[in-house]
Amino acid sequence: MLELVDLSRRYGDVVALDELAFTVTPGQVFGFLGPNGAGKTTAMRAIFGLVSLDGGSVAWHGRPVGPSQRRGFGYMPEERGLYPGMAILDQLVFLGRLHGLTPAAARGAALLWTERLGLGDRRADKLESLSLGNQQRVQLAASLVHSPDLLVLDEPFSGLDPVAVDAFSAILSEQAASGATVLFSSHQLDLVEHLCESVAIVDHGRLVVEGRVDELARSGPPRLEVRVAGRPGALERAVAGVAGVERIDPGREGGGVTLTLARAADTQAVLDAARTAGRLEHFSFAHRRLSEVFRDAIGRPSAEGAG
Amino acid sequence: MRLWWPNAWLIARREIAERSRAKSLWITTAIMILGVAAAVIVPTIIGHHQSTEKVGLVGAAGPSLRQAVTAAGRVTGDRVELRAVASVAVARTELKSGALSVAIVDGREILIKKEPVSGSTSSESTFAGAVAELAGLVAKLSPAAAQTALAEGIAIPVRGLEGAPKSLTSRFTGLGVALVIYIVIFFYGMRITQSVGEEKTSRVVEVLLATVAPTQLLMGKVIGFAAIAFAQILAVAATFGICGVTVGSNAVHGTAGGVVLIGVLWLVLGFALYCSAFAAAGSLITRQSDAANAAFPLFIPLILAYSLANGVLFNGSNSFYDVLGYVPWTAPVAMPTLFAIGAVSAWQVAASAVLCVLATLLTARLAGVVYARSVMQTGARVKLRQVLRADAGRG
Repeated sequence: MLELVDLSRRYGDVVALDELAFTVTPGQVFGFLGPNGAGKTTAMRAIFGLVSLDGGSVAWHGRPVGPSQRRGFGYMPEERGLYPGMAILDQLVFLGRLHGLTPAAARGAALLWTERLGLGDRRADKLESLSLGNQQRVQLAASLVHSPDLLVLDEPFSGLDPVAVDAFSAILSEQAASGATVLFSSHQLDLVEHLCESVAIVDHGRLVVEGRVDELARSGPPRLEVRVAGRPGALERAVAGVAGVERIDPGREGGGVTLTLARAADTQAVLDAARTAGRLEHFSFAHRRLSEVFRDAIGRPSAEGAG
Repeated sequence: MRLWWPNAWLIARREIAERSRAKSLWITTAIMILGVAAAVIVPTIIGHHQSTEKVGLVGAAGPSLRQAVTAAGRVTGDRVELRAVASVAVARTELKSGALSVAIVDGREILIKKEPVSGSTSSESTFAGAVAELAGLVAKLSPAAAQTALAEGIAIPVRGLEGAPKSLTSRFTGLGVALVIYIVIFFYGMRITQSVGEEKTSRVVEVLLATVAPTQLLMGKVIGFAAIAFAQILAVAATFGICGVTVGSNAVHGTAGGVVLIGVLWLVLGFALYCSAFAAAGSLITRQSDAANAAFPLFIPLILAYSLANGVLFNGSNSFYDVLGYVPWTAPVAMPTLFAIGAVSAWQVAASAVLCVLATLLTARLAGVVYARSVMQTGARVKLRQVLRADAGRG
C-alpha cells in the first residue's frame, strides 16, 4: 500500500504541494488527476525522493520509503528520458540490473518486454533512431523490466496513437491484476474513467476529491436525461416550472436536456411535464461523468471547455 | 550500504562499454601511441650519441701514443678502437670507405677523410683535434713524464659554481609530460562535463535517480572515465618504456625516467582532483551547447600552468611558478615541470601531492553537493552561487 502523508513543498512563493495526502491500495489502477501545475509531477517525484519535501512523508506498506524499496518501484517520468545513443536492449538490461536483477534475469525481461511491445526487431537499434511513439514504448518497458511492485507513470498516454493507448491500458490493467500497485496521471479523463478503479484529484497541491470511480459517478445531486420529439425549446419550458428541478443543461447526446434535481424532487411530476412537450423518446437517470466530477472538484471549467 | 558499490560499478561499466564503442577513443589512443613511439625512437636513431672512433695506427706507435689516443676519447666522450694498419695507402683507402675514422702515421701526422670546415663539430674532427693536442703534448715529454701525466690524467677538472643542470633530455621529457597531463585532463574533463550534461538534458537522469543516489551516479561516472583514461595512459606509458628499452634511448634512463614517473603520479592526482569538478560543471548545464562555457573556469589554472611551463623548462623557474607548484589546481602541470628542471626535491613533490589529495577530497565533497542539487533542475542554466546558497527553486 502506498501512502502519501501530508506532503508539502514550496518553491519560493509557489505552493507545489500543500499537505497532500492519499492512499493507493495494491492490485488496482489508480488515476491521479488535476489541472496543469496542480502538483502531480512534484508528488510523483517525491515518491522517488527526487524532490526534497518541506514536510510529510511517503510510506510503502507502512514503512518510510527508502532506497531499498525504490529498487522495487518502476517510474516513467513526465519528461521522457533514456540514453539517446545506446541500443534499446542494452538500456533495458542496464536498468534491470540497477534494480537488482541478475544479468540473465535482466536480459530475459528485456527480451520479453521488447517482444511484448512490438520492438522485437529493433533491439539493437539506438533509441534516437526510433519514432517518438516507439521511444515511449521503450520508456514503458524501462519502468516494467524489473517487475515492479509499484508502478508510477506520469502522463503515460500523452502523444500515443489509439492502438498504443489500448496496448498500454491492457498492460497497466494486467500489472494491477497480478498484484502490482499502479498509479498514473493523465488529462484524458474518459480513459481514466474506463481504466481506473479509484482516482485522486488535486488542485493547488491539495487533495480535493478521492474515491472509487463508480461511487463518484453516483455522487452529487440526481440527474435526469430527458428527450422528446417536439419543437425546440418546448421541453425546457415544460419542465422549468416543476418543483425540484434546479438546473437545466443541454443533453449529452443531441437534443434533449440534462436536469439536475433536488434530492426530494418528484420525478413523476417531471415525467408528466415532459410528456406535455411532445412524444417521449428518452427518460433516464444519468451518472456523473468523471470529467464532470473533475470540473466540479476544481471549481472552474476544465480544459475540455464544456461548462 | 550494501548495494552502494554494485550500482556505482554498474554505472561505471556502462560508461566504459559505451565509451569504448566510440571510434574517437581508439583513434586518439593510436595517435598518442604513435606520437610517443616516434618521440622515443626518432631522436635515438638520428641523434648524436656516443660514437665509436676507429683509429688506425700506421708504423711506430708507442704506449704513450696509444694512451694519449684513449685519453682523447675520454675528453670528447667517444669510444676508441685502436688497430694497426699495414701502410699509409691502406689507411687512405679505409678512411675513404669509412672503415677508419682517423689514421695516425708514425705518431707524427693525423689523417682524416675530410678537412674540417672552420668551426665544424663533426665527431671525427673534434676527436682528431683532441688526439692532435694530446699526442703532440705527450710527444714533447720524456717517456717517464708522459707515463705519469697520462696515468694521473692530463686534464684539469672543471667544477661549476652551480650543480649540474638537468639534461636537455630531461627538459624535453618534462615538456612532453606537461603536455600529456594538460591534454588528458583537458580532454577527459570536457568529456565528463558533456557526458553528465547529456544525462541531464536527455532526462535519463530522472530515471536513474529514481533508483540510485546522486553520489553513486557521480562516482560511477568518474570511475568509468578514470578507467578508460588510465588504460589509455598505461598503453602510452608502456609504449614509452618498451620503445625506450628496445632502442636504448636515454629517455628511459636516469633523470628523464624519473620525470616520467613523477608525471604519471601527477596525472593520477590531477585527474582525481579535476574529474568531480568537471562532473559538477556538467550538472549545471541545461543545453549541450553550454558544456564548454560551464567547464571553462576549470581550464584556466591548467592553461596558466601549461602556458608558462615552456619558459620555465628552458629558461629556469621563477618564484611565481614555484608557488604554482604548490597550488593544487596548477600543481598537476607545474610540479612535473619543476621536477624536470631539477628545481624541486622529492619531499617538495610529496608535500605538494599531499595538498593536492586534500584538495581532491574537498572538491569531491563540494562537487557532490552541487551535482545532487542541480542535476534535476531544468530551465535556465543553473547558477553555481544559487546552488551553493541553498536548495534552489525548480526552473
